[in-house]
Amino acid sequence: MDLAQYAELFLAEAREHLAAVNDLLLAWERDPASREPIGGIFRAVHTIKGMAATMGYTPVADLAHRMESLLDGLRRTERAPSGETLELLFRTTDALESGVNAAVAGRESAAAADLTSALERAAAEFQPARRAGPPRAGEAAVEPRPGGAAPGIPVRVTLKADAALKGPRALVVLARARELGAVDAVHPSPAEFEQDDFDGEVSFRLDTQASAEAIEAKLREAGDVARVTVGAAADLERRAEPGTGARHVRLDLRRLDGLMNLIGELVTARGQLMEVASSQADIALEEVSRRVSQLTTQLQDEILQARMTPVWQVFDRFPRLVRDLARRLGKQVEFVIEGKDIELDRALLDEISDPLVHLLRNAVDHGLEPPEERLAAGKPAMGRVTLAAARERDTVAVRVADDGRGIDRARVLSAAKDRGLIESEADISDEEALIRVLARPGFSTAAQVSDVSGRGVGIDVVVTKVRALGGAVELRTARGLGSTFTLRLPTSLAIVRALMTRVGEERYAVPLTHVAETVDLDPRRVTTLEGRDALAFHGRLIPLVHLRRVLQIDGEPPTRRPVVVVGVGERYSGLVVDAMLGQQEIMVKPFASPAGTLPIFTGATILGDGAPVLILDAGGLV
Amino acid sequence: MSHTVLVCDDAIFMRTMISDILTQAGYEVVGEAETGAQAVERYKQLKPELVTMDIVMPDMGGIDAVREIMRLDPAAKILMCSAMGQQALVIEAIQAGAKDFVVKPFQPSRVLEAVQRVLG
Repeated sequence: MDLAQYAELFLAEAREHLAAVNDLLLAWERDPASREPIGGIFRAVHTIKGMAATMGYTPVADLAHRMESLLDGLRRTERAPSGETLELLFRTTDALESGVNAAVAGRESAAAADLTSALERAAAEFQPARRAGPPRAGEAAVEPRPGGAAPGIPVRVTLKADAALKGPRALVVLARARELGAVDAVHPSPAEFEQDDFDGEVSFRLDTQASAEAIEAKLREAGDVARVTVGAAADLERRAEPGTGARHVRLDLRRLDGLMNLIGELVTARGQLMEVASSQADIALEEVSRRVSQLTTQLQDEILQARMTPVWQVFDRFPRLVRDLARRLGKQVEFVIEGKDIELDRALLDEISDPLVHLLRNAVDHGLEPPEERLAAGKPAMGRVTLAAARERDTVAVRVADDGRGIDRARVLSAAKDRGLIESEADISDEEALIRVLARPGFSTAAQVSDVSGRGVGIDVVVTKVRALGGAVELRTARGLGSTFTLRLPTSLAIVRALMTRVGEERYAVPLTHVAETVDLDPRRVTTLEGRDALAFHGRLIPLVHLRRVLQIDGEPPTRRPVVVVGVGERYSGLVVDAMLGQQEIMVKPFASPAGTLPIFTGATILGDGAPVLILDAGGLV
Repeated sequence: MSHTVLVCDDAIFMRTMISDILTQAGYEVVGEAETGAQAVERYKQLKPELVTMDIVMPDMGGIDAVREIMRLDPAAKILMCSAMGQQALVIEAIQAGAKDFVVKPFQPSRVLEAVQRVLG
């Protein structure tokens, strides 16, 4: 059987389990005496072992097996784990994660020898004294094969959705299975069949010589069976965890993107239909086109909704990151996450992951004071970092807040002055101005600044990224009380409002998020800066980009021409176009510039009249 | 050749209905019982190939009757007749050895499917 088709499923599910392991380890670290986390950790690692063995990812299965042995020892002896043991478990979890990624990418890499030997030593401490002396070299090789623990073929049975009394029916299924051989590892456990939320899906291992066809035929005899999956697929298809309420299916993101593109075309075709209908004065046609229009809108809403993903899918990685960082820096941090269930477009969520890492690093590294400094300032030794998501009107606000020292304006000021970025103190009088200074590329790359109390590192990256996503970054800071960065984001990405412009015979779209202003090209305000045309704009000079030249369009330009001022982060430039054609909603089709074309387009869209229009990439033009 | 069936239910209406469904489909209803105790007695006398068993009956319920019959004849084939909401009782009956179940209100086709499944 070709297992490659299950690789993505394996990856997604293994990551989920690893995230759960991380969470549980963190909980365990907070309360090492607790007996609760280990059960979940053990189950997750066991599942990963089984899946990896099924996929033939031996190094992952082997490492999971070693981790499981240590966990088993901890569980049996009911001993609280030492800090060292927890650290080892954290490291192993990391190694499992990179092992999983490597395996799926087709690279087989055995775990580092020092890690496996550390695991072996740690596990040996918990071994009952059944053998004398240290384990012999090569002994691991005679241990049972990982994944071989539960014998038999994985089987998964899904009952018909309309089956009455699914619990008893599942029992009938198991009884039929037992006619073929021993049944083991039943999930969920038969005790759960009586629960109201039992959804009619049961998986187990069947120790039998019967063929897959024979197994399926026998199990179907139980009645009300919708689907029987036999073999490795049954293991891998098992859903994450039951009881999370809403039903979910895994869906390849590329499929959603494809669907989104089709909807985009449908929206465009709808525009064409409306145009035709309004020109025909045919009531029946208008009626139909209105109906099509409504349905298209609904479909568009549905698909946008389907792309929405709860932020925890990204946030759940952060407790570990903050913990590791705090440990390394000798800080004490209480990390709080709020609004885990708030949803964002999947693509947006992926994009803000790195900016959030920057902000969290800054909060722990530069925001929070060391414990002694906090105590001296009359604050608790343990600092607090909050990551919170909230819906605010039609945007989602993601906040990273710390109760640290706040941003030292005087230092930022002197650093910025030294670099010639600002002229006077008045330039950072308010927070908006302060963040503009912090976001200057020249400011953030200055290493010394990050070593003092400034928090320049990566702020320009954050601001640029969030602006590119159609959002904004806000800052609140108070000396001694801490700082809060707020990323204000649109909930969805794929449909944007754009300013339509014309250059020569072609139309070009500029996403409104990047448009700062539009002005008429006044020759009296044009000067030269470093050999390029520049425009005086709010007390500074910004470069002018003559799109006619860039796009190599011949002929005489109109005498009066508008300038579209676009800004990304703190960089601005003025795009000189022939005419402005108004605003319009467009469906962005992502687009990789073909070789030989100018790298100044981010995508394309198709207008109501069927004409393709390129979308200008403000980032590439400033 | 037709299979022999023992129909156990405390309601005459249910017994009649099940008997009709089975008879029309060519099965031979060889006896009826209205209590669990009766069901066990009749099973011993008639040795039917299939028993349909109501769950709630006076004087020994259906589940105890299943246990008793299974003790007498581990190869007995018993089909439980249950109402919605008797999930836990049906689970108990199956754990006691009943082979399958049908849920009231009965649809003839469903009953016959279950009977065929049990008789193999």
